[in-house]
Amino acid sequence: MRFFRKLLRRRTPQDMQAELAFHREMAALHDSPIPLGNATAIAERGYDLWSFGFLESFWRDLVYAARGLRRSPMLVAAAIASLGLGIGVNAAMFSLGIEFLFSQPSVRDPGSLVGVRIAGNSHAEPRVVEFVRASGLFAEVAGENEEAVANFNDGVETRPVFAVLTTKNYFTMMGIPMLYGRGILPDDPDDVAVLNYGFWRRQFHGDPSVVGRAIDLDGRARTVVGILPEHHRTPIGFGFSPDIFQPRYLPSTILAIYARLRPGMTLSAARAGLLTVERRMDAEMPGPYKYSQGGRVSPVGGYGHLREERMLALGAFFVLLLAVTGLVLLIACVNVAGLLLARASSRRREIAIRLALGAGRARLLQQLLADSLLLAILGAAAGLGLAQFTATMLARVRLPLPLPLRLQVAPDWRLAAYAAVLTTFTMLACGLLPAWQSLKQSLAPDLHRETRTRLRSVLVAVQIATSVLVLTTGFVFLRNLVHSNAISPGFDVRHTLRAAVNMPSTSSDAARAAYIQQTLDALAALPGIQTAAAARIVPFNGATRFLVDLSFTNGERAQAFFYWNAVTPEFFRVMDIPLREGRTFLPSDRGQKVVVVNPAFVRRYLGSREPLATSFVWGDSKTPYRIVGVAEGTKTMTIGEEPQPQLYEPLWQIKNDRQAIEFVMRSAIPPALELEPVRRTLHRQDPMAGAQVETVYGSIGLAFLPSQAGAALMGSTGLLGLVLAMVGLYGVMAYSVARRSREIGVRIAIGARRGDIARMVLRSALRVTLSGTAAGLLVAAIVTRPLAMFLAPGIKPADPLNFAAVAAVMLATCLAASFGPVWRATRIDPIAILRDE
Amino acid sequence: MGKSTQPALLQGTLDLLILHALGRGPMHGYAIAQAIHVSSDEVLKVEEGSLYPALWRLELDGAITSKTGLSENKRKARFYQLTRRGRKLVAEQEAIWNRLSAAVTRALAR
Repeated sequence: MRFFRKLLRRRTPQDMQAELAFHREMAALHDSPIPLGNATAIAERGYDLWSFGFLESFWRDLVYAARGLRRSPMLVAAAIASLGLGIGVNAAMFSLGIEFLFSQPSVRDPGSLVGVRIAGNSHAEPRVVEFVRASGLFAEVAGENEEAVANFNDGVETRPVFAVLTTKNYFTMMGIPMLYGRGILPDDPDDVAVLNYGFWRRQFHGDPSVVGRAIDLDGRARTVVGILPEHHRTPIGFGFSPDIFQPRYLPSTILAIYARLRPGMTLSAARAGLLTVERRMDAEMPGPYKYSQGGRVSPVGGYGHLREERMLALGAFFVLLLAVTGLVLLIACVNVAGLLLARASSRRREIAIRLALGAGRARLLQQLLADSLLLAILGAAAGLGLAQFTATMLARVRLPLPLPLRLQVAPDWRLAAYAAVLTTFTMLACGLLPAWQSLKQSLAPDLHRETRTRLRSVLVAVQIATSVLVLTTGFVFLRNLVHSNAISPGFDVRHTLRAAVNMPSTSSDAARAAYIQQTLDALAALPGIQTAAAARIVPFNGATRFLVDLSFTNGERAQAFFYWNAVTPEFFRVMDIPLREGRTFLPSDRGQKVVVVNPAFVRRYLGSREPLATSFVWGDSKTPYRIVGVAEGTKTMTIGEEPQPQLYEPLWQIKNDRQAIEFVMRSAIPPALELEPVRRTLHRQDPMAGAQVETVYGSIGLAFLPSQAGAALMGSTGLLGLVLAMVGLYGVMAYSVARRSREIGVRIAIGARRGDIARMVLRSALRVTLSGTAAGLLVAAIVTRPLAMFLAPGIKPADPLNFAAVAAVMLATCLAASFGPVWRATRIDPIAILRDE
Repeated sequence: MGKSTQPALLQGTLDLLILHALGRGPMHGYAIAQAIHVSSDEVLKVEEGSLYPALWRLELDGAITSKTGLSENKRKARFYQLTRRGRKLVAEQEAIWNRLSAAVTRALAR
């Protein structure tokens, strides 16, 4: 009510003063004593009632601050650049973290959607999925295989696209919102497809009439039934954005299982229920694994999935990243604080006069903070713009990764809230110290200069210490990158190529085997190619892990958990994986079951057995598998991992039911030169087969991704911090030289040489630098210790070498920053200075 | 005019006195001060420093409204007038005051 009365009917101070004047006139007329109060003060106090108080006076302060800042455009530009970079990097990292950690899959009620793993496997055989569905434990169960590639023919050429294979109830069970058309329905025929937004834009230029049309996938016509919206997020998360969804058409496609909890069902109830189902599976449907081991039900959406281990690690990394970028913002703020402090000298008289006239200190503080609030708001606007621009640019390019990832960073209320927090922090960090300093010193005008310079020096020392901290973190991640690049993955990445081929689904098993053999011959015949091999899996581009019971010939049993691969005999020679014992597969092995294992497998599961004399029965199969060789281990998923048990089978020994096959080749010339010839050869072999050809080094990019991403993010943040600190040091040195120019002139006049002056100025710069660096290193030595959790084994955050390198960089930077001011100090003309007096 | 002879107004009673005085009809600030002075047998004296802020606050609260008019000596002045809300308020406040003063009188009598 009050609020509206204020808005609708304003009373002015003039009006109120007129009323008081009338009162006095009447008093004089009636011979009453004339009141002695301060009419102006009364009217002003009255007006405060009718005004919007704090808001209104703060608005006036902002207008006043804007007027003042307009007169110093250089300061505003420097502050916006500093704060824009600082807030921009914070906002960008924050949105990235939010997207990775909190984004919800685009499904109905994400809280009740869970991922199910059985026997520790990420994917299960269809009969297992069907068993779980039929058990009725969950409201509904669906599956998908996201590692599928289909050959898309646009009428001109065939190329592989990422096609997720789903069970037909996938869309209805998830409740996925569509942009056009509909999702796949349970009673749809096999030949339908749903297009993802990005693919639809690229391929069909966003034409909605493609719904209902047929497209050519794997040589078969598929009717497009729907288009997904732009911001569709799969349950897999991490920006995974495949091109196409289609119903699985091979009965053997293994599936990742998703399930809907029944209403009111808790996770622990689901887990207990799953165990019962798994036990029944073990009893009724014995398979290669024990189903009742390693089962897991984990939330996909909601906030429950944050409790998962990999999410915790990711969360910790983002918290660290935000802490480091926060420090960078602090450095930027200190720069602006330094500028404001210098400006405060010019406002000294104004503030002294206002204090003398009786302005309240709180009121003046509010006004001084308006300056920094204005700068903070401008900086935040610039920073958010910068962050949004970078995010848009990033979303537009397809990241050079083996999986189709597209980050969908969009500003939302969380970013807005974070920006508000950053702005407030910035305002206080930039403004509080200068404002307080102005108030404290403006009544003692002649004492203030010395302390103000000293205060700025302290600020710069703090800034240097902070950037030492940021740099150390960045440096540690950089070393981690160098180190992980140097770790050998266990196979040759420099002389090898890889071709991932997707054979047409129409081909028969025999036709596939023939195709593989012919292709191998054709590839090996290429000039420059020494050997070629085929494999199910190229390390780092996927992995299959089995948990099986091994029974040895003497009746002993062991439960083994290993990475599996199926290869042709030349695989070991192509990849340069040395055989420690025994041999690779031989054509004469056909007809019996043979395997090659790695030393970790021997160590962990064979005990004291002689590997080459060992046979075992795998699961419930009847034929024993004989170990014919022991090959050195390779890394399989990440570069930092511990040696894991591995097992290879000959490719001819396994069911030939998959369309996907990998070829690896060893090249005598740089492998990049062989990419085109290999592509042409593959096209000649089967124009219908989509192929992706790349160097092995290029294809294992994903393995280096964590260390590269960490190094890129932390390294660039550290560099930004360094630049900002350099600007700060330059500012304080330039200011101090300008202020001391008279003193320096006098020194030169009475005989100081240029060298003496340079040394003097440099000494003060060094004093600030050294004390800041020392303090920073001391703090860094303590707080960087927990970083070890993100690093490859063998990299220690508290390595003296890190500190020495950071100190050297800091010193060099400071020398560079003080070069300009020192030069200017030695060029001071004493005559001109003295004439000015 | 010593402090002992001039009883200070109790907190909140000024509003009541103003509203009560306005019960007789619209008046300007000086007239209100005079009315309180006279009707209290010249015991209570309202200073402009407290009268006008109180008027402005009451107006903001919606208990009174104001408009400019001509005073008895043909000068422009701001006249205050009770609103419906103000009439209700004065009745409530009078009841409260009566209870309070009776209670204080009783307490002091024992």
